[in-house]
Amino acid sequence: MNENETELKVQALVDGELTGREAEDLRARIETDDGLRELHARLIAVRGLMAGAELPRTLPESGDFHWSKIAQSIEREDREAKRLARPAPSANWLLRWVLPFAGIACLMLLLTLQQTTKLNLSISLASDHELELSIDDLDVMTFNTEDDAMSVVWLDYSIDLQQDELDLWLD
Amino acid sequence: MITLSLNNLISRFIFLVALLLFVSGGFGAAQADPITLHARLVLGTCKDDKSKTEVSDKIRKRLAKVFKWMKYYELRSRRLGIDDGATKTVKLSKTAKIEVSNRKNGRIGVSLFSGGKMLVQKSQLLKPGSCMVLAGESGTDSAWFIVLSKDK
Repeated sequence: MNENETELKVQALVDGELTGREAEDLRARIETDDGLRELHARLIAVRGLMAGAELPRTLPESGDFHWSKIAQSIEREDREAKRLARPAPSANWLLRWVLPFAGIACLMLLLTLQQTTKLNLSISLASDHELELSIDDLDVMTFNTEDDAMSVVWLDYSIDLQQDELDLWLD
Repeated sequence: MITLSLNNLISRFIFLVALLLFVSGGFGAAQADPITLHARLVLGTCKDDKSKTEVSDKIRKRLAKVFKWMKYYELRSRRLGIDDGATKTVKLSKTAKIEVSNRKNGRIGVSLFSGGKMLVQKSQLLKPGSCMVLAGESGTDSAWFIVLSKDK
C-alpha cells in the first residue's frame, strides 16, 4: 500500500467509513507511525472546525415530494398533448354520424340522377329481325320493346296522311 | 298363338303409321293455313281530334310508352288473310305502299315502297299478341304508324 492510499484510509477512518478489522488495523498502525498519527490528529481537528463552521441547509420540501411534482407536471403535459391531438367531441360526432349520412345521401343523389337521365323505355335491340335498306340516305332506327311485344322500324320518311288519300287504303 | 301375336303386332304397326301420317298431314295442313294479320294505320299527335277514333288501349299504351305523342288515332283498320308464301299490298298514299308477305314458319315480311321504289324491308317472326310497327313523321308534330299484329 503506498503512502497516498494510506492517507486516504486515514481520512476514511476519520469520516467513519472504515469499520471492523480494517479500522482496528489502521488504528494500530496510526499508534505506531508518527506521520500517520499526526495526519489523523490534523484531520480530526479540521473535521471539528468544519463541523462548527457549516451552516445547516434544509430543503423546503422533501426530495420525494420534489420528484413527484416533476412527474405530475410531465403527466399533465402528456394529457394536454393528447387532448389537443384528439378531435373535439363535436367534431367526433360529425365524423361518426354526419359523414356516413352525407355519403349515403350523395350515393342516393347519384343514383337518382342516373335514373332521371337514363329513362327506361323498355327498349332492346332487335336480334332475330332482318332489315334491308334499299336507299342509303334513308335514316332508319329499329328496336324491340323489352317484353318483345312490339318491334318498331322508325323511318325518316314522311307520309302526308290526307283524308282523300286514305281512301287508297285498299288492296 | 304366335300367328295371332304377329298379326296383332302388324296391325298395331299399321295403326301407328296411319296415325303418324294423319298427324304429320294435319301439321302440314296447319302450316299451309293462311295467317290473318290486323293492319292499322295510326296517326300519332298531341292534338285532340274528336272526329277521329282512338286506337285500343293496348295499342295506345304500347306506342305511348315509346313515343312522345299523347293521342293515337286509328285512321284505317283492316284484316289481311295471307296465304303461306303469298304477298298482299296495301297502299298508304298516292305514292307509298307496303307489301306484307307470309313467309315460312310464322315469319312475315313487310316492305315499304315509295314511288315504286322499295325503301326498307323487314322480316321477323310475329307471335300472336305481339305487333310490328313501321313509323315515321307526318307533317308537323305528328307521326304515322303502320301497326301489324297477328290474331291469336
